[in-house]
Amino acid sequence: MKRLNSNLVKGILFTFLWTFSLCMFAQNITVTGTVTDTSGEPLIGVTIQAQGTANGTVTDMDGNFTLNDVAPDGILEISYVGMESQEVAINSQTNIQITMSEDTELLDEVVVVGYGTMDRREVTSAIKTVSARDFNPGGTRSPLDLIQGKVAGLNMTRTQGANPNSGVDIQLRGVTSLTGTRTPLIVIDGVPGGNLDLLQQDDIESFNVLKDGSAAAIYGTRANAGVILITTKKGQAGEPQFNYSTYLQHDRVSDKPGILSATDFRDLISQGVIDADQDFGASTDLFDELINKNNLSHYHNFSASGGTQNTNYRASVFYSNLEGIAKENSREQFGGRININQKGLQDLLTMSLNLATNVNKANMLGGASGDFEQAIQRNPTAPLYNEDGSFFETEAFNNYNPLSRLANRISERNQQTTSADLSLQLQLTNDWSVSAFGSYLRNTYNDRFYRSSEDWDNRVGTEYQGMGYASKSNHLAWTKTFEATTDYRKTFNDIHTITAMAGYSYQYETFENFNVNNSGFTTDAFLDWNLGAGSAINDTSLPRPGMGSEKQDNTLVAFFGRVNYSLADKYYLQGILRREGSSRFGANHKWGNFPAVSAGWTISEEEFMDGVDFVDELKFRVGYGITGNQGIPNYQSLVTLGTGGVYPQNGVYYQTYGAARNPNPDLRWEQKAELNFGVDFAVLERRISGSIDVYNRNTKDLLYNYNAQQPPYVRDLIYTNVGTLRNSGIEFQISAIPLQQNNFNWNIDFTANTQSNRLTKLSSDLYEANWLSFYGLPSPGNLGDAFRLEEGGSVGNFYGKRFAGFTEDGKWLFYKQDGSTGTATEMSDDDLTVIGNGVPKFQASLTNTFTYKNFDLTFMFRGKFGFDILNLKELYFGNKKWLPNNLFKSAVTKHDQLDDDPQYSDYYLEKGDFVKLDNLTLGYNVPLNTSYIRNLRVYVTGKNLFTITGYSGSDPELQDTGFEPGVDARDYYPRTRSWSVGLNIGF
Amino acid sequence: MKNKIYHISALILAAILMAGMNSCTDLDENVYSELHESNFYNNRLEVLQAALRPFTHMQAWLAPTGQNGYYYHAELSADQLAWPQKGRHGYDGGDHFRQHYHTWTANEGRMRTAWTLMWTGVGYVNAAIMDLEEVDYEALDISEEEMIAILSELYVLRAFHYMKIMELWGNVPIITAVAEPINPPTQSKAEVFDFIKTELEAHVPNLLPYSEELIGRVSQTAGYAMLAELYLNAEYFIGEPMYDECIAACDKIISGEAGGINGTPELASDLLETFSNTNQNASEALFQFAFSRLGGFTFDWGGFFMGYSNMSRALNVGYSGNNAFVVIPSAFDAYQDNDLRKEEWFLFGPQYEYGTDTPILGTEEYNGQPLIYVNSIRRESQGDLTSEGGMDQGEENSGARFHKYKSGTIDDEDYRENHYIIYRLTEIYFNKAEALMRKNNGVATQEAVDLVNASRKRAFTDEDWAEAQYTTSTLTMDELLAERGREFIFEGKRRTDIIRFGKFTTGSWWDHEPTNDPNREIYPVPHTQLAANPNLVQNPGYE
Repeated sequence: MKRLNSNLVKGILFTFLWTFSLCMFAQNITVTGTVTDTSGEPLIGVTIQAQGTANGTVTDMDGNFTLNDVAPDGILEISYVGMESQEVAINSQTNIQITMSEDTELLDEVVVVGYGTMDRREVTSAIKTVSARDFNPGGTRSPLDLIQGKVAGLNMTRTQGANPNSGVDIQLRGVTSLTGTRTPLIVIDGVPGGNLDLLQQDDIESFNVLKDGSAAAIYGTRANAGVILITTKKGQAGEPQFNYSTYLQHDRVSDKPGILSATDFRDLISQGVIDADQDFGASTDLFDELINKNNLSHYHNFSASGGTQNTNYRASVFYSNLEGIAKENSREQFGGRININQKGLQDLLTMSLNLATNVNKANMLGGASGDFEQAIQRNPTAPLYNEDGSFFETEAFNNYNPLSRLANRISERNQQTTSADLSLQLQLTNDWSVSAFGSYLRNTYNDRFYRSSEDWDNRVGTEYQGMGYASKSNHLAWTKTFEATTDYRKTFNDIHTITAMAGYSYQYETFENFNVNNSGFTTDAFLDWNLGAGSAINDTSLPRPGMGSEKQDNTLVAFFGRVNYSLADKYYLQGILRREGSSRFGANHKWGNFPAVSAGWTISEEEFMDGVDFVDELKFRVGYGITGNQGIPNYQSLVTLGTGGVYPQNGVYYQTYGAARNPNPDLRWEQKAELNFGVDFAVLERRISGSIDVYNRNTKDLLYNYNAQQPPYVRDLIYTNVGTLRNSGIEFQISAIPLQQNNFNWNIDFTANTQSNRLTKLSSDLYEANWLSFYGLPSPGNLGDAFRLEEGGSVGNFYGKRFAGFTEDGKWLFYKQDGSTGTATEMSDDDLTVIGNGVPKFQASLTNTFTYKNFDLTFMFRGKFGFDILNLKELYFGNKKWLPNNLFKSAVTKHDQLDDDPQYSDYYLEKGDFVKLDNLTLGYNVPLNTSYIRNLRVYVTGKNLFTITGYSGSDPELQDTGFEPGVDARDYYPRTRSWSVGLNIGF
Repeated sequence: MKNKIYHISALILAAILMAGMNSCTDLDENVYSELHESNFYNNRLEVLQAALRPFTHMQAWLAPTGQNGYYYHAELSADQLAWPQKGRHGYDGGDHFRQHYHTWTANEGRMRTAWTLMWTGVGYVNAAIMDLEEVDYEALDISEEEMIAILSELYVLRAFHYMKIMELWGNVPIITAVAEPINPPTQSKAEVFDFIKTELEAHVPNLLPYSEELIGRVSQTAGYAMLAELYLNAEYFIGEPMYDECIAACDKIISGEAGGINGTPELASDLLETFSNTNQNASEALFQFAFSRLGGFTFDWGGFFMGYSNMSRALNVGYSGNNAFVVIPSAFDAYQDNDLRKEEWFLFGPQYEYGTDTPILGTEEYNGQPLIYVNSIRRESQGDLTSEGGMDQGEENSGARFHKYKSGTIDDEDYRENHYIIYRLTEIYFNKAEALMRKNNGVATQEAVDLVNASRKRAFTDEDWAEAQYTTSTLTMDELLAERGREFIFEGKRRTDIIRFGKFTTGSWWDHEPTNDPNREIYPVPHTQLAANPNLVQNPGYE
């Protein structure tokens, strides 16, 4: 009490004096000083900045600085690479001694490893951490956009461009499964299988990507494709803080296809290339009509956090309305996230609670990739509207008027996703704790669809007889997870540290679907809101009303543990074992074991490295781990009966029942064994740091629907384990600070990786497949499958004919197997061969960040190299035989000699290598002389600004994951160049 | 304080353990939208639901419902139908070319599909037989007689599957159980024939006579029709003529002994009844797929036989198709101009919107111009009016088109109610006539002439009949084959017929040249199956 009083008195006195001094001496002063590290050595080049002003300097050779014209009540910001930044109140001092300590956050970066965290220096496997400060700036469509190009080996492509209702194609270290899950497991705050919709960019603290098997094995049967652990921002003790972020984004089409305009089309008519009767008199640009030119997306996120050491919270709400480049293609969403943490029971018990929800409404009518195929191939002289204002329709194969669909249909999804989790941790002793964690994740959506009586597909003369059609469907999925873990950590004799964790996990997943449709709506007034009013219920001349429902579930149970041992902060060893059982597998193979070991040696801590001054850190890592893949359909091992369509019993049509599949009681998981070598390094006062990883992974027991022996099996396919796939590669990640001068900093981040794969085996004692083929080329023509994957072959091999030239009258000539040439009709299966590959062999990204005073400029280049693209647009639209549909200009220029129906061959394969300026951001931290606003940042971001490529088609960045990479398909969603302006404010 | 902590931790640990005990052992799967076998076969209805599963599957390969099954191969390798490339449409990897020119390989994807479809059918039958043989039918109020009939129906159906499989591949394994043995060995065509014959002869007599209650099922008329076909082809299959047996089987049906939907089967009086949308009770139907749009099981021939959506208005129907199969010019020319079948069973010449004289317009080579089906497969739009054409020379209007089955217009109350007729009495007439002629060294008897004339009479007006009818001198074996072709066009029978007549590998039609390779009379075993089952032997000529 006495002490408190005296402090209070001092405080009041101080405040009084300070205020007094402010009034008396409100003139600027000059401050000098010296900056040293903790051992007293002077630091050269430290930035000293007067807060909220552009006034700054750097320390000289002896660590001294002089800063003129600073307010005596101001604050100095001291920053230096590798050191913890600090703020020093001037308090009218003219000479200030500053000691900087090493940035422990940087050295002891916390890495989330699954069921726990580790210091970066303890990590022995390939884990990449990307924290908020390194996220890609600007607005995002998906949270994963934040780390595109930041993680070597993590491949992400937005195949649907800026379509707000599309996801990101994602794959880590190559394809690892034929039919199972090929995308990494997403774990959000410890909830495996988390839903990305629940994450907003401003709520994310960090991403941790478990790349190799020795890291991912802790997630057992779900880890084959890697694991991405996402941590959200949490409550923090201290002053209550508010943050508001917003951006506005506008997209413009980055590449319009090179089709004939109405004028070009008429020119060709006058040249006799196109028949005169194909001029329908109008001049239209359907592509242009489908574009939402005034698109504007906006996003708002408002958060509040605060509390004490014992109880703290963070709450955020968001709203966004994202518009695509296509009309009737948008997504409006709102929701929030709450985190509450409390310590009690004399600091022994910690509770943490997270609640998150996302409510969204997606307009899925526009942006259908087929609409833009119509935009390319529609005759530009064909009117879009009749004289009476109704839509002009053409009847040709695969022709429709997309504008009519946009006007006469509704396609909408209303979705809600919610997640709740609670964890309790009890500290039993100083070294030992136990935790229990429970979560519930629920995703539900309701789809509505309506086709009005005005729709072309419902016109009089069709089965719908000029009346409306409506359908609705519901989807509900929920997952409950319970996990219990216990942790132990102790250091013996100062140098031996043991960390151990053991746990149990139970996860139950289920989903159900329900759909119903009806037609014969004599009025369009109800839309889909009065399904019973459709006269198809009693008018049997209409298509019968339909309905369906289904439910499935599965259970996953695991016991797991991890032990880490470190010796003298130099030698590290880690062992992981997960024993996991999944209901999806055959009775004989429900349970499996997933072990991993890894070791690290921080050689820079060794005494013999003391003389090597330029090396700050050098660590070798090696790890080996076995993981599995249970991401397959449910019930594949069971003998069940399924419906087989109706057949009459004495005139009444009842369902029939027969074998639903060939059961496989030996069904087991795909198993991956992966070896990873890594080096982490930091040199030249940490101005250059990075890591290199080399891996080789073998996935065996690949599950596939193999051809069953028929006879004797009932069904033609049996889902069974056959085949081995090998992936190997090198990943390279480097950060450098080439320049650090007065007011000016330049940072470089570079990631690169090579990747190759081979299907080493596709048969077993029981089953054999000669090859697998993918991507049936579309109608018209049905030119066969574009890809073939053979034993010994690579994923993404294009397989087809070899172009040999044209005959004099423009017919195709191809090489036969024996080297002679022949026409298309003379080709047989023996003449086909591997003609290219669609998987990029090499990928890289380069981010440069410049900061000058309060300005910062970031630009990121990203590129993919060493792959082929099958230009299907050219194959079909660049051929005069595509008439009477519209053509690419190339049909009468580049391919003018061709006078034959479309054929698939290497004639249409092109090198796809590209480099694009993916992100350009200019930001400005507005200096403010107010105590109300902590920070204020404004920025402008441009995305996908330009692409350097030799590819003749549009954007060469196509799907490059899975088994159908590198196809530039006829139908597509136009790529865009987007600009956004944003604001972040903290107060 | 410490005590308290241990209490709490003990509680938590106990909770963890309990959770573990309860859940970790439970990895059983719950099914919701499928059935465990143990929950089935509780009543007569369910027994039949299992017994009828093979029928809904069989239509996929036997009827022209758009799948690459028996029908596709039986028609496109023969001399009446082709799927030519029409401009940019229908190249389809050259699949249809190879059927037409008989240049197929063991890698044909469509042939692989046919194999899997047909053997899946065998599997469904075998699975149903295995289950139903175990059913305690008395507990389900099923009489022994009825149970025998149900099982006989399945045995006969299985034999029918084997007969069609034998037609395509000749030498195949014989399997009567599910998944046992895993890799069954190839057996010779003679052994397969013997199996079919034994099974049919044993079980056909146990079938129920055809009646209205059994429409769509395998009854005695179906069984004897199968036997008649098997015996008629016995000389080809195993080198042993069985014409007397064939005649006897035909007589079982003709006499009415095997039943009929409305008493004894009778030839339809016109060309339309048997294929109309009211053909459920067709007087000559012996075995049929009981399709019904209202029942939820529409016979959809659009995939193979219907034009694009512009043709929907010509017929005033709600469906359209792929503009796929066309009639080979030489097959269309096989009809005399006064043959009423040429008018009734085909779409030919200019097409008009239904009930009007407004032309249907083309959308490809004849975009915006009237669509006129022509009896040629060549580039007429480019001025080729004389050449023979070829499989890659088609256009959207090439060839006469299917119009044998008629769905009725969209406002017809029986719209798309057509059944697909697998066997009809006319075929039994032809089989008997052919057996009589073959017994008589290929010369027609008066009985044979009468049988064929009874069918042919429907195709001519009374004025034309005197000249059109056959006599014992005009009904040669070649004429019999030609008339069979005219009568059964589009019915999926042609390949077997011209093989039996020795024309399949030696005959020429349109631009098809004979291969003169008898090995082509059966298909190769798909390479995928050879890879999967080491005990399968490839057919001669395809090794």
